[in-house]
Amino acid sequence: MTAVEKSPVPTAISVRDLNFYYGANHALRNISIDFPQGQVTGMIGPSGCGKSTLLRVLNRMYDLYPGQRATGEVIFDGCNILGPRVNLNVLRARVGMVFQKPTPFPMSIYDNIAFGVRLHERLDRAAMDARVEDVLRRVALWPEVRDRLRDSAGALSGGQQQRLCIARTIATRPEVVLLDEPTSALDPVSTARIEELLDELKADFTIAIVTHNLQQAARCADQVAFFYMGEVVEVDSADRMFTAPREKRTQDYITGRFG
Amino acid sequence: MAVRDRDVTDAAAAAARWQGNSLSDMRRRMVDRVATGLCWLATVLVLLMLFSILFVLVRNGIGGLRWATLVHVTAPPGQGGGLANAIAGSLIQTGLAVLIGAPVGLLVGIYLAEFTATDGRLINLVRFVSDLLLSAPSILVGLFIYMIVVVPTGHFSGMAGALALSMLVVPVVVRTTEDMLRLVPLSMREAAIALGAPRWRVIVLVCLRAARDGVATGILLALARVSGETAPLLFTSLGNMNWSVSPAVPMASLPVTIYQYAGAAYDDWTALAWTGALLITAGILMINITVRLGLGRNRK
Repeated sequence: MTAVEKSPVPTAISVRDLNFYYGANHALRNISIDFPQGQVTGMIGPSGCGKSTLLRVLNRMYDLYPGQRATGEVIFDGCNILGPRVNLNVLRARVGMVFQKPTPFPMSIYDNIAFGVRLHERLDRAAMDARVEDVLRRVALWPEVRDRLRDSAGALSGGQQQRLCIARTIATRPEVVLLDEPTSALDPVSTARIEELLDELKADFTIAIVTHNLQQAARCADQVAFFYMGEVVEVDSADRMFTAPREKRTQDYITGRFG
Repeated sequence: MAVRDRDVTDAAAAAARWQGNSLSDMRRRMVDRVATGLCWLATVLVLLMLFSILFVLVRNGIGGLRWATLVHVTAPPGQGGGLANAIAGSLIQTGLAVLIGAPVGLLVGIYLAEFTATDGRLINLVRFVSDLLLSAPSILVGLFIYMIVVVPTGHFSGMAGALALSMLVVPVVVRTTEDMLRLVPLSMREAAIALGAPRWRVIVLVCLRAARDGVATGILLALARVSGETAPLLFTSLGNMNWSVSPAVPMASLPVTIYQYAGAAYDDWTALAWTGALLITAGILMINITVRLGLGRNRK
């Protein structure tokens, strides 16, 4: 039912006929959506519409909780990641996730980043140092923390912590980065920095971002998907979505009539 | 003139507005004073009890706190014995008890807090049993070890005493470990899992590290709790009048020595019992101060 236009950009993740259940609660209904490679896909819609749920399907986060299950197909690199034989640790290394609230681990700034890298690669000291510096530079945190890499990450400000979490996620060199309302707990300045960051990151990563902030979606996303009551109502380029939505429900939402 | 009058009336009206309802106001103040007074009274009462205990302990025990008490073993009345064997026995038995009990408690606590997705009934059962053990009369624990260790081996031993004490360590450590791990936010676990970390690494490297202070506090409190236990040792390590550090044979301990000496008719034994009690209290106080200073410091 959703018209997904054939884009010239290759698809990183392709979701087909996805249904998701929290126990008896049918949270996602027949979702089909493509995430184009190297682009930012913004996911908008009122609270409880299923945006975050879809995000948590893409790295199988829902597996942690019994009673949650998904049917349908999510094709990533030629493989249906909903299948039983998928190595979840590998999947999560390839599809990274950043959460709403910054989640620094109770260890040093350096070790926060090295934690993820050590799970998947054996690097010698110099290579690890280089990796840590590289990702901290990419999130524009390096100048602020270069002299206190051994200090606890908990001492950083909220915005710095969130940038650290993004650095930690990209340090494992994923192909896809999922962001679940990454700026909703941050001040406007930190938010702006993270939005700038997204623009730079999409050169290397496919990005899916859930946001309640429509301006943020308009600013950052190449493609926008509007979710409503567990369905994808409309997927389109950010330009068209916010200027000429095809669906009435989309228009009502972006003009603030509900949500 | 007219302007001045209005200023005066405005001021009076303003004063009236600030007055409030004086009757209910007074009543509130009264209730507040009475409640605060009762709180003070209760606090003073508790402090009074605590300090009178400490005072009596120090007054009666400090006299025996000599070098000889620490290096001489217990001796027949009138021969100037000390508490060396009891002190060593207590250190060995409580040390062994924590060495045995803490890892078990730690693992069970981790199981209860981290494996909530597995089987709810089993988890509830384990937690129930652990809580039961927490409130079980310690003499029953001593009798239990007597049945399963002392009777089969045919003799009392320091190891049996340590095992009995370890059964009291386990539930304390289980409880604090579970509680502390539950304080670790779910989002931190998810973040670690989202990096592709296997379960055990999330638990060991992230959750336990986040709960480190609380878990260590629990272990120290368990140590403090068992270092004063007498009943579990009566049927297990029994006591030993001679110097012995072997857990394979009966072993002396401070609480049991106090128990035996306090009721004795000999003045020097009673004095040693007081000194022993003072030593245990000082030890427990030291553990508690360590917990407060050493571990509380890191907390944000």
